[in-house]
Amino acid sequence: MAKKIQFILNGNTVEVMVGETELLVDVLRDKFRLTGTKKACGTGDCGACTVLLNKEAVRSCIILAPMVDGKEVLTIEGLGDEKNVHPIQQAFVDAGAVQCGYCTPAMILTAKAVLDINHDPSDEEIKTALSGNLCRCTGYSKIFQAVKNAAKAMNLKR
Amino acid sequence: MKSGYQIVGKRVNRVDALAKALGKAKFTSDFKRQDMLIGKALFAKFPHAIIKGVDTAKAEQLEGVQAVLTAKDLPGRNGYGILVPDKPVIAEKKTKYEGDAVALVAAVSEEIAKKALGLIEVEYEVLPAYDDPRQAMKDDAIHIHEAHPAADKGNILTTVALDSGDVEKAFREADIIIENSYETPMVDHAYMETDVCMAEPDPLTGGLTLCSPQQAVYATKRCLAPVFGIPQNKIRTFCPIVGGGFGGKEDSVLDVSAMAGVLALKTKRPVYFELDREEVFRTTGKRHATYIKHRMAATKDGKITAVDVETILDKGAYTSMGGLNNPLMAVTQRTAMYAGGTYFIPNARARSHSVFTNHPYSCAFRGFGAPQAMFAVECQIDELAKALNMDPIELRLKNILRHGDRTIFGQVMKENRGLGLEECITKVKGRMDWDKSLDQGNGPVKKGKGIAVFMYGTGIPLLFEGASCYVNLELDGSVSVAVAATEMGQGIVTALTQTAAEALGVRYEDVNVTYSDTATAPDCGPTVGSRAAVVVGNAVLDGCNKLRERMLSVASKEFKKDPRDMDIKQGEVFIVGKPETTMPLAAIVSKAFITQVPLAAVGTWYPPQPSFRAEDGQGEPMHAYTFGVQAVEVEVDTETGELSVTRSVLACDVGKAINPSLVEGQMEGGAAMGIGWAILEEGFMNKGVMENASFHNFLIPTIKDLPELESIIVEHPNDLGPYGAKGIGEPPLIATAPAIRNAVCNALGISINTIPLTAVRILAAVKNQQAVGGGN
Ligand code: FES
Ligand code: FES
Repeated sequence: MAKKIQFILNGNTVEVMVGETELLVDVLRDKFRLTGTKKACGTGDCGACTVLLNKEAVRSCIILAPMVDGKEVLTIEGLGDEKNVHPIQQAFVDAGAVQCGYCTPAMILTAKAVLDINHDPSDEEIKTALSGNLCRCTGYSKIFQAVKNAAKAMNLKR
Repeated sequence: MKSGYQIVGKRVNRVDALAKALGKAKFTSDFKRQDMLIGKALFAKFPHAIIKGVDTAKAEQLEGVQAVLTAKDLPGRNGYGILVPDKPVIAEKKTKYEGDAVALVAAVSEEIAKKALGLIEVEYEVLPAYDDPRQAMKDDAIHIHEAHPAADKGNILTTVALDSGDVEKAFREADIIIENSYETPMVDHAYMETDVCMAEPDPLTGGLTLCSPQQAVYATKRCLAPVFGIPQNKIRTFCPIVGGGFGGKEDSVLDVSAMAGVLALKTKRPVYFELDREEVFRTTGKRHATYIKHRMAATKDGKITAVDVETILDKGAYTSMGGLNNPLMAVTQRTAMYAGGTYFIPNARARSHSVFTNHPYSCAFRGFGAPQAMFAVECQIDELAKALNMDPIELRLKNILRHGDRTIFGQVMKENRGLGLEECITKVKGRMDWDKSLDQGNGPVKKGKGIAVFMYGTGIPLLFEGASCYVNLELDGSVSVAVAATEMGQGIVTALTQTAAEALGVRYEDVNVTYSDTATAPDCGPTVGSRAAVVVGNAVLDGCNKLRERMLSVASKEFKKDPRDMDIKQGEVFIVGKPETTMPLAAIVSKAFITQVPLAAVGTWYPPQPSFRAEDGQGEPMHAYTFGVQAVEVEVDTETGELSVTRSVLACDVGKAINPSLVEGQMEGGAAMGIGWAILEEGFMNKGVMENASFHNFLIPTIKDLPELESIIVEHPNDLGPYGAKGIGEPPLIATAPAIRNAVCNALGISINTIPLTAVRILAAVKNQQAVGGGN
C-alpha cells in the first residue's frame, strides 16, 4: 500500500508516495536522487547510510520510509556545499581523512550529531560516536583527527 | 638541480576530497537510471553439486520478466578468468561454490526479478564439499573440475618450485633448526562499495558499454570479449571513482560485468546488476587461506643458513590469480618467492601448492601472497631469537638483505633502487623505546611487544608490465592527462596530478587527470601490485617531458636562447637566472599550436625486462622493492583471551613520497587492515557455505579496535621511479600480523601460530599451557 508522507528534507518540506516497507535509504537515493547517502550493507551493520533524523544519527537502511512522516531529515547534501562548506567537511578534507569516500558522508553526519550536542568531546566520546561506522581505507586515525579539529573549529565559530 | 620540488613531496589536499566530503562525488551505483532493467542471479543452493536440470518456465511467464538465461542461452564462451577462462558465467553441469550462478534474470523491477528467481526450479545431486585444501589434494578426492584446462593433477592447480644453494647440506650442518606450522585465514576484502555493473548495448557499433567499479578496465574487456562474442575494440569498460578495491575488484568486476553484459545483449536494453553485501561475501574473491610448514636452519651465532618451506594455498573454486601460464603473475609464486622474507639466506627450497576447494575463488588481495609468506618467516625469526636468547631486532639486523646480497629468488639488491630497511628498523626501534621493558604488574592482563619486517616488489612482472597514457596541452596553458588507472581511494589521481604539474612546471590546479575509461586512455596495466604511482607515474612523466621539451624549444625561438637555459615553473616560461624574463606557458602553447608543433603526447614507460626461470624460481622479477618495519605493543587478558593492540608504529621506505599525506593514508589503512587480519577476520566455511556472510559477524576493525596508527616515512630513492618513488599501496599490511603475533607470544610466553588471534584462540592456548604447566 503506497502512502503519501510529508517531511522536512534538508530544510525543505517535501511530499512523496512511499510503500509501507520501503526503506528510507532507497527513497532518498532513488526518489530524491540524493546519492550522497550510501548503502553498503543494507542490514544496519556498517553505518554508511547514516542520515540525521530529528538531529539524531540513524541508519537509513533499517528505517521504514513511513516512519519519517512529519519529521526532519538531514542528508550530506543538506549540510554544506562548495560555497558554504561545513567545518566538519572542511576538517575531513584538510586532515586527509577522505580516501575512497564511500564512508565519508556518513562519518561526517555522525560527527555532526555528536558535536552538536557535545562541544568538547573527549577522545573516548568521539571514538564511541564513530564506532558504528566502518571505514576500510583509512584506519580511522585521520578521521579521528578531523573530528577533533572540527570540534575546535566549530567552537571558534560559536 | 632537482632538489627543490614545487609540488612533489607536498601535502596538497586530494583533488577529489571536497566533492566526496560534500556527498557529491558519484560512484557507479549513483548513476542508476529508471529505464534500466534489473538483473539478478540465482546462485547455487549447494556449493558442490551436479546440476540435473533447470526449469525456468514459471519465471519466464512472470509479468515484467524480460529474460531468463541458463548456460545454454549464452552468446559466446561460457568461461572467463584473468589467467585461465575456467569460471563459467552460468554453471552448466556442476556447481563448484556458492557463488556459481545457475540462472540469470532481467526484469523491470528488483521486486519482480527477485520473485522470478524464486520461481526457477533446479534439481541438484549434492556432492561432498571440500573446505580444506589438504583434503582436496589427496589422491582419492573428487575432482572439483572434471576437466580443468590447466590443472596440474586432480585438484592441484599448480605447484611452484623455488630452489637455491644446497638445502640438505645446510640443514645437516645447522647448529639449530626451527620448525613450525602456520595457518592464515581466508578473508574478504570488505571494500565498502559493493559490486555493481551497468551494461548497455551500443546500437551504433553493435558493441557493449560496461560501467563497473574495478581495477583494470583493459583487462576486463579482454577477459570478457569472448564471453560476449564481441571484438575488444567495440567494448568500452569504464568506471567513476571506486569505493575501495584492495585487489578484489580486479576479479569481481568480471563476475558482475559478465552477468550484466549477457543480460543486456539478450534484452537489448540497459541492465543494472548489483550484488548485495551478502552476495559479495558469498560470491566474490577472497584472500588465499594458507597452511605453511616452515623450517629454518641457523648457526649458533644467529646467521640463517637455509629455509625449507611448504605452502598449501586454498585456491577456492577457480584459478583467478592463482597460478599457471605465467607463474610469476600468481599469488602461488609469491608465497614461494617471499618464503625467506627480507633476509640473506644462501640455501632455500620452497614448494607452494595451489589447491581447488569449494570456497569462493581466492584472488589478489593487498600483498598478493606476501603477507602469508612473511607471516610464517617473521614468526620463525622470533622463534629463532627465543631459541638463541637473542634480541629479535639484533637477530634481524644480522640477517637482513644489504647491497649486493642475493635474495632466495636470485635478485641482487641494489642501493640505487632504494634499500632503506635498516633505517626503518633503527627509527622504529627508537620510536618504540624498544630496549625498555614493559611494566607487567600482577593482574591478569599481560603486556607484550613485537616486531616484524617485510619487503615487497613494485609492479607485476612479465605478463604485462609497462604503461601508456595521453598528455595534452590546452591553449590556455592547462594540462589534460588521461590514464586508464583506477581511483579507488588510494589517491592516484592526486599523485599523478602532482607528478604532471612538477614535470611540466605548471600549477597543481592547472592539471586535470581523467581515469579508468578505455574510451579515453590507452592501456596502462591494472591498478594493482602497488604499481600505479610508479609505473603509470613514469608514463605520465615521459609524456610531460616530451611536451616540456617541445615547449622549451618553441620558447627558445621566442627568447633567442638555448632551450637548456630555459625553465618552466608555475605556468611561466623563463630564462634560468633571469626571472624577470617570464612569458606565460599559455602564450608558448598558442605559438606551438600555430607553428605545427603537436600539443599531444603519448607517455610510456617499461621497467627493465624482468627475468625468471620457472624450474627453480630464480630471477630478477621486479625493478625495485619497498621495505618496512612494523612494531606493536599489545595487552592480553589471560582470563578472557581478549587482545588489544595498544600501539602501532610502522616505518616504510617508499623511495620518495610524492604526497606524504597519501602515503600515510596507505600506511594507516594498511596497518588497520593488517590488524583486522591478525585479530578479527576469518571467513567461517562449513562444507562450502559461508556462515558469517555479513558485517554483523564478519568483523572488520572499527575505530575502537585500533590504536593511533603511527607512521614513519623513510626515503631511499629508486633511481627508476618517478622522483624516486616505490610502490606503497600493498606493503603496509604485510608485517602487521606477525608483529602482533610476536607481541602476543612475548606477552604470554607461548607460541600461537594460527591467526586471527581471537579471544577463543588465545584462551585455548592459555588453558593448554596451564594444563601442561609450561611457559613462564
Ligand atoms: S547500509 Fe545501512 S548500515 Fe550499512
Ligand atoms: S574512505 Fe573508503 S571506506 Fe572510508
